Amino acid sequence: MSKKYDVIVIGGGHNGLVNAAYLAKAGKKVLVLEKRYVLGGAAVTEEIIPGFKFSVYSYVVSLLRPEIIRDLDLPRHGLEILPLDGTITPMSNGDYLWRQNDHGKTRRELERHSKLDAEAYEEFGKSMVAMCRFVKPILAMIPPDPTSLDPRDLKKLAFLGKRFQNLEAEDKYNLVQLMTMSAADFLDQWFETDALKATMSASGIIGTFLGIRSPGTAYVLLHHYMGEIDGAFRSWGFSRGGTGAISNAIGAAAVEAGVEIRKEVSVAKILIKNGVANGVVLEGSGEEIHADIISSSVDPNLTFLKFIEERQLPGDFLEDVRRYKYRGSSGKVNLALDGLPDFTCLPGPGNHLRGAISISPSMEYMERAYDQAKYGEFSRRPYIDMVIPSLTDPSVAPPGKHILSCFVQYAPYKLASGTWDEQREAFGNTVIDTISQYAPNLKSLIIGKQFITPLDIERTTGLTEGNIFQGELSLEQLFFLRPAAGWARYRTPIKKLYMCGSATHPGGGIMGAPGRLAALEILKDSGRS
Amino acid sequence: MPAKSTGPRDIIVLGGGHNALVAAFYLAKKGFKPLILERRSIIGGAAVTEEFHPGFKCSTVAHAGGPPLAQIVKDMQLARHGLEKLEAPVRIFAPNPDGRALTLYSDPQRSAEDIKKFSAKDSTSYLDFHNSLARIAGIAAQLMELTPPVIEKPSKEDIWKFLKVGRKVRGLGKKEMMRLVRWGPMAAADFVAEFFETDLLRAAVAARGIYGAALGPWSAGSTLLLLLRAAADPYPVGNSAYPRGGMGALTAAMAAAAKEAGVEIRTNAEVTQILVKDGKVTGVLLAGGEQIAAKAVVSGADPQRTLLGLLDPVHLPPSFVVKMRNYRATGTAAKLNVALDALPNFTALKNSSATDAAAQLAGRIHLGPGIDYLERAFDHSKYGEFSTAPYLDISIPTIQDTTLAPAGKHVMSIYMQFAPYHLKSGTWTQNRDALRDTVIQTVAQYAPDFAQKILAVQTLTPVDLESIYGLTGGHPFHGELALDQIFTMRPLLGWARYATPVKHLYLCGNGTHPGNGVTGASGHNAAREIAKHLR
Repeated sequence: MSKKYDVIVIGGGHNGLVNAAYLAKAGKKVLVLEKRYVLGGAAVTEEIIPGFKFSVYSYVVSLLRPEIIRDLDLPRHGLEILPLDGTITPMSNGDYLWRQNDHGKTRRELERHSKLDAEAYEEFGKSMVAMCRFVKPILAMIPPDPTSLDPRDLKKLAFLGKRFQNLEAEDKYNLVQLMTMSAADFLDQWFETDALKATMSASGIIGTFLGIRSPGTAYVLLHHYMGEIDGAFRSWGFSRGGTGAISNAIGAAAVEAGVEIRKEVSVAKILIKNGVANGVVLEGSGEEIHADIISSSVDPNLTFLKFIEERQLPGDFLEDVRRYKYRGSSGKVNLALDGLPDFTCLPGPGNHLRGAISISPSMEYMERAYDQAKYGEFSRRPYIDMVIPSLTDPSVAPPGKHILSCFVQYAPYKLASGTWDEQREAFGNTVIDTISQYAPNLKSLIIGKQFITPLDIERTTGLTEGNIFQGELSLEQLFFLRPAAGWARYRTPIKKLYMCGSATHPGGGIMGAPGRLAALEILKDSGRS
Repeated sequence: MPAKSTGPRDIIVLGGGHNALVAAFYLAKKGFKPLILERRSIIGGAAVTEEFHPGFKCSTVAHAGGPPLAQIVKDMQLARHGLEKLEAPVRIFAPNPDGRALTLYSDPQRSAEDIKKFSAKDSTSYLDFHNSLARIAGIAAQLMELTPPVIEKPSKEDIWKFLKVGRKVRGLGKKEMMRLVRWGPMAAADFVAEFFETDLLRAAVAARGIYGAALGPWSAGSTLLLLLRAAADPYPVGNSAYPRGGMGALTAAMAAAAKEAGVEIRTNAEVTQILVKDGKVTGVLLAGGEQIAAKAVVSGADPQRTLLGLLDPVHLPPSFVVKMRNYRATGTAAKLNVALDALPNFTALKNSSATDAAAQLAGRIHLGPGIDYLERAFDHSKYGEFSTAPYLDISIPTIQDTTLAPAGKHVMSIYMQFAPYHLKSGTWTQNRDALRDTVIQTVAQYAPDFAQKILAVQTLTPVDLESIYGLTGGHPFHGELALDQIFTMRPLLGWARYATPVKHLYLCGNGTHPGNGVTGASGHNAAREIAKHLR
């Protein structure tokens, strides 16, 4: 038996680290257990090809909560966000649609495609900001239980009701639509340019197993817009040194606060005595480590179905945990390039390569990509969101060389036929072929490649079914229903066992909010006892 | 002939559909003197019986009731006015391409027994499902009868009524309450998968969540539609109660009750414009040029026809017009009415006697054997094509009702999805025969001698549903029943209480809450609100 901690945090992803840092700052003695050699979970930088530092999974940042950056003093620990300038969409007619951070440039560009859209875009932006203002406090809120009569819950519900009533009539209407509509229907009301709608709607499907025409996707659109409110335009950015640098900064803050981090140790079991969690057993060595509190940042599948025996959990809860949907739908292709890709729609190097490049030429293209996934195939013409971080941050590639980081959807975890191990190459080549249609010189530039399927995401990071958000962001899995009705407040049916990962409110993305909110709840409980 | 001008009437009701008849009846009971103006030569709207081939009649559009609210059946004394309900024990007969079939009855035990053929586990789950649905539907049914509250500024009465329902919801217990919240936004495919493993059973139940909607079973929110239907009829699948004489007999009984209550009905009276002065309704203009003055106009037509088609937009706030244009009401349904020389022989019933086979077919026949099948049928419609392997909901009312066809002959009413109103290539006139042939081939896969039994076919495309029956966009429910177009948002947020921005112009059709088919609930709720306003 080893020395005792106040809290053991399972998993050294960004949420686990945030959770640990907040707990340590409040005086707890915290141990973080990470199964890999590197911290960060899905937010890691790894040198897969010598000299090329890939942000292997998560590749851009926009949602990291400002209070976390502030509380943990992350810039001092090395966090530096570099701007990602705009999004360019190569169109099927050889033209392009390029939205930039510069307001005037974007307006002129939109006017080139549609005067009406240029007008509507401004209105749309204002309206989204109003929506974000409404939703943002919810991100920092412990979800209330709508079935409870507890005055604190009722107060929270009343607060939400009042905020809603205070919205302008038009914003109320838009908000209700956002919460219920499909991204496609919602955007159809605003815009007419197909490529614009297609690219914007993509935000509504990222990380979900839904198409742009599926109701509920408009909300995800908003979820991804949330970054905008603090900056000018979508304040997406790169982290200098890759996404792993964010995790390293949080890790450094945690260590400074007194957190102990052990890498390359896997948890096999959570120890429970008389319904109270009191430690973990490590894989392989069988080492037992004890603590007063266990905080799990991994998903509910691992936490409850792998680390805990069925009989320890109530039947209803088990049912809910089994029903919780993961359905990974995306993959990643990381390429090491000898030079810059040359896009036919806008040849040569230029600022357009410093932003996101979106392969989303039309709404039909997006929806057809989804159709194939529904029946268990990866999209033959997928939606791809790419960035070339090496242009903005030369530290990640050798001089003159570049990295092309491609997020790909749809790649369903469950294939109708064959295995992902058999189809990995075909998947990666499909992505390269698709991009080559718009940038014909791509293939000649490739000097190294990494194809990542949902199965690979699961194997390496532990994310069940390769879902990048630890469970789908669908309406029935949000807020007080995330991850299960009645268990949305970071607590679990096992006493002293908490959840602090993306499977809890407010969900995924490099946001850190679940880790922070869970820490606050843990402190509240331990203060009480 | 110079156009004449009459009136003033106190209330004019536009359209003679079931909701308009119900609204007019209740308004007459409150002492008003409503005048119903129906464009066609027959009343009933989409709930009509028509002779589509000499000697052959059927419910040409809607072929089963929602069913009508019990309160309405009682208040209007529909039985005394000639309504006779024919209800087969079978609700749904769902054949599989492999020659097997699943039959679901009104009696859950009998259904569970039949499900055993496929899965013992599903058989047990079915009873749980049935009971859970019945409990939740009981609560939802009360929401159907509620005038949606003004959520921006709820009145004391709104809050009180809501709390009353809320207390009932609480009575469900925490688990069922959370279920209700969680289920609503789900995809029907996920919802049924929580209970059943048999694909055919999953599809038969999930179909209720896509019926009449531009949704596939994998579309989020389709569970809500399923629950909405279950609220009117608390069973896992839709009902198979047909009025003797077809759906037209239901609206005929409603019309008789309305007349008895003092409602005047004029057919062949097409309203072309709703007249407004100083923001207030003054009357209507008919196709012949006749004007009828009125203190109030209640429209049973769909919201877009009423507010965008019959009204000069200058009378509406511009933002309202924009939102009304964005109201989604493009249909995906078509209808085939088939005159048959004899009952077709279904492969799945080849070992049954003629009587037993007929009994199996007396309810509704569900052709759509799996979740993916239904989803693929939907996929086509997204790209402006009709399904090559469509979902069909069929009734053969003549098995129980001999009044509709010559002795020994039958009619088959086939409701088809998905046929999008907007086609990518060609017009519906050009595609009508291809649609017909696709549907016939689909039925023939389950009943190979089907084509040989056909005497005549009437094909109604979404465009026909619009031009003949006045359903804008061919939408059978006056607009999508989606999360953003129900309850306090039907038809628009802020305008869910049957009133419109024009004073004394009201809506009472399926484009208002709850709008869930032939239940009459919208008309019933509207009459209550309108009477309150006009007092």
